[in-house]
Amino acid sequence: MRADRRTHLAVAALIGVLALVSCRRPPERVAAEAPRDSAARGGQVIVAVGGDVTTLNEYQSSGDQTEADVIDLLFPMLMIEQPDYQLHPPSFAPRLATSWEFSSDNRTLTFHLRPEARWSDGVPITADDVRFTFLAQKDPTVGSLGMEMKDFIKDVEVVDPHTVRFHFTRVYPYQLMDANDGHIVPAHAWGRVPFAKWRTTDFARILVTGGPFRLAAHTPQQTIVLERDPLYWNAPRPNLDRLVMRVVPDMAAQLAQLFAGQVNLVQGVSPQEADRVKANKDLDLVEFPSRFWGMIGWNNRRLYFEDRRVRRALTLGINRKSLVDTVFRGHAKLSSGPILSSMWAFDRNLRQLPFDPAEAAALLAQAGWRDANGDGILEHNGHDFAFDLMYPSNNILRRQMALLIQADLARLGIKVRPTGVEFTSLLARTEAGDFDATLWGWVEGTRVDLTSAWSTPTPSQGSNNFIGYSNPDVDRLIAAAREEPDYTRSKVLFDRIQELIVDDQPATFLYESTQLVATSRRLHGADINSAALFFNVEEWAWGP
Amino acid sequence: MLRWTLHRVGAGVALVWLVATVTFLLVSLAPGDFASRLNDPRIPPAARLRWRRQFGLDRPLPLRYASWLAAAATGDLGTSWTYKQDVTTVLAEVLPNTLMLTTLGLALEFIGGISLAIVQLRRPHGLGDRAITLATLGAYALPTFGVALGLIALLSYRLHLLPPSHMYSLEGELATGWQRAADLARHLVLPVTAIGVTGVGAVARYLRGSLLDERREQYVLAARARGCSQRRAIVRHALPNAILPLITMLGMSLPFLVSGSLVIEVVFSWPGMGQVMFNAALGRDLPLLLGGTIIATAAVVAGNFLADVAYAVADPRVRV
Repeated sequence: MRADRRTHLAVAALIGVLALVSCRRPPERVAAEAPRDSAARGGQVIVAVGGDVTTLNEYQSSGDQTEADVIDLLFPMLMIEQPDYQLHPPSFAPRLATSWEFSSDNRTLTFHLRPEARWSDGVPITADDVRFTFLAQKDPTVGSLGMEMKDFIKDVEVVDPHTVRFHFTRVYPYQLMDANDGHIVPAHAWGRVPFAKWRTTDFARILVTGGPFRLAAHTPQQTIVLERDPLYWNAPRPNLDRLVMRVVPDMAAQLAQLFAGQVNLVQGVSPQEADRVKANKDLDLVEFPSRFWGMIGWNNRRLYFEDRRVRRALTLGINRKSLVDTVFRGHAKLSSGPILSSMWAFDRNLRQLPFDPAEAAALLAQAGWRDANGDGILEHNGHDFAFDLMYPSNNILRRQMALLIQADLARLGIKVRPTGVEFTSLLARTEAGDFDATLWGWVEGTRVDLTSAWSTPTPSQGSNNFIGYSNPDVDRLIAAAREEPDYTRSKVLFDRIQELIVDDQPATFLYESTQLVATSRRLHGADINSAALFFNVEEWAWGP
Repeated sequence: MLRWTLHRVGAGVALVWLVATVTFLLVSLAPGDFASRLNDPRIPPAARLRWRRQFGLDRPLPLRYASWLAAAATGDLGTSWTYKQDVTTVLAEVLPNTLMLTTLGLALEFIGGISLAIVQLRRPHGLGDRAITLATLGAYALPTFGVALGLIALLSYRLHLLPPSHMYSLEGELATGWQRAADLARHLVLPVTAIGVTGVGAVARYLRGSLLDERREQYVLAARARGCSQRRAIVRHALPNAILPLITMLGMSLPFLVSGSLVIEVVFSWPGMGQVMFNAALGRDLPLLLGGTIIATAAVVAGNFLADVAYAVADPRVRV
């Protein structure tokens, strides 16, 4: 705990010190002059990352972002998901598969593979690899995180070396996404290790890759060097010779090294630092809607929050717009319901709850909360309206939110105690339902499925509905929407679900933040978007 | 002597067991486990339950403890849940990095402190003495991260003399032989200085105090009377006696050698024990956390033991 505090002090101090030195640029970067067309080929880009990779086998990974990014650069997928989920469920572009088609009953899906695809050791990538990958994904001893994505895929059949057929047990909207989930791994190299031994195998020792880059060097906790794979089979091939990930755990140090030209790309720039990056003429700030969003989860099982009038009053009593603008400095927008506003399924006519303290007070009074003893705090059945608002202790933005919420609700006679909790403890308490209210946030997937977060929890299946929200109408509609293959029809269901959830206010929806990525101006051609940091990495070029 | 050694070894083993057991209980009873982090809605909630079964986190605590102890007693520290590698392999990768940094840091601290104390003793209470005392105490009072960040700001970002972080530059990592070694040496300067500068004050202060006492002892006077120079009287005669408290200090510093400094490692992106253990604690990677704890505790036991032996060698009055 002490060390933790010292780290925070260190971070705070570093920001201060760096503010003093950041205006200076190292001289060698000014001197760099090269002809314009040298940007076309060669060079390297150094990306700052917060942590190291612990495994290069996706099916042993715990889903950490850097790890997922590196795996995505090293291993092929059948198709590439496109960032077009604003308009309709995401579409897919060919990669290892050149084309695909469903059978007339939609129960089988056939992929035609690129015949020239090769692993980094020259062995062809074939239908056998696709089937082997499927077997690994389904094997319980492997324990892949995405195992449930394959629940409705009965088998994967090798038709010929370049044709593979997926057999489904049922028809549903996300068949293509589920078939595509997970990168293809090399059967000829990894098939020699029995699945039961995967959990203790160091796959870096038997690494065979099939992506645009291959692993050149990995120094633990320091550097991951990827180099262009000359055998890569897809066009366009990368311009860059090398892509380097430099592990810099401290965010402030990442920015300092970006300003000094020692790294060329920093992800996750905080809103507080955005202006400083923008002001630097050697840097670009890329901003795009991320799928990260946050809310106050009210524990619907607790006395204070059982009554939906009270939950609505809490939302009405918090000046959410001002909170989001203050904390994110314009780099987030107000969130209004259980589906991100950037998703096709978002209901654009959804009614927002305004900031209306008078209406909030009236609703609280209706629900029986009155300040009978004149101490400034509401009571009901002898209980004061006072509760803990939990947030991760190392998250400065959420602490600011907690304090603003405390101030707003104090005016209604509600006592909020902002409580910083160590992150893993917070996760555990949230999961166990051991909290009053929590400042909660997550990255939403591109699949619109509200089951795990908003359906009544079923203990045997596991659930992410930690606030214990339960509305039978919502349950029924969610189940119907997830079965509906036609998205224009499921949109109608989703609109109704959003209306019901906003009426119930099981949580107070706060923000959808944008992602800020700082890059050197010498990086050309990068289309960094919400699909992936390295979405068009093949077209990245390093120039003057 | 043999009995004493056996006694000490037995007590040491008992201490390591005790500390490891307490750590096991504390971490197991703390809220959250290794599967807690799978809260991303893109990961099916069932994966959390599956991990708990796989890593045996759903078994009763006494059973988990018994199987861990049985394995640890045979020297098997298990597999790190995060790294999917033997705990010993993970620790063997980072321990040398930490040892390199901390050994040099401590050496700078002690050699620097001893030299400064001797310089101060040339004219006690003189201008030089006071100036050094002020400077070293000032450095001692500064937080390590403050010194570290100051050094980086000045020597890396302003003067471009030394690299601000990491063990190797990109070129150094791909190089071999002396080029690689020279690159490492350049990267060591700042973190070692940050560790050394903040500790040097304490060493100098301790030693100056005890040297001042020793200087008035009759054997030093006798040495001076025999025509021994002031410097020689202090270095050859007073110093060996005055250095005893430093041996204790050094013994107490041994755990730092092994467990490293989290702050220094984070600020300098140094791949050492501090970061690995901190992340293991946050992620509840129990096997890794216990493995590291066992090694750090063993270092404390060994440090105490070595300090006692060194004491006996340095001071003939102490006989084991």
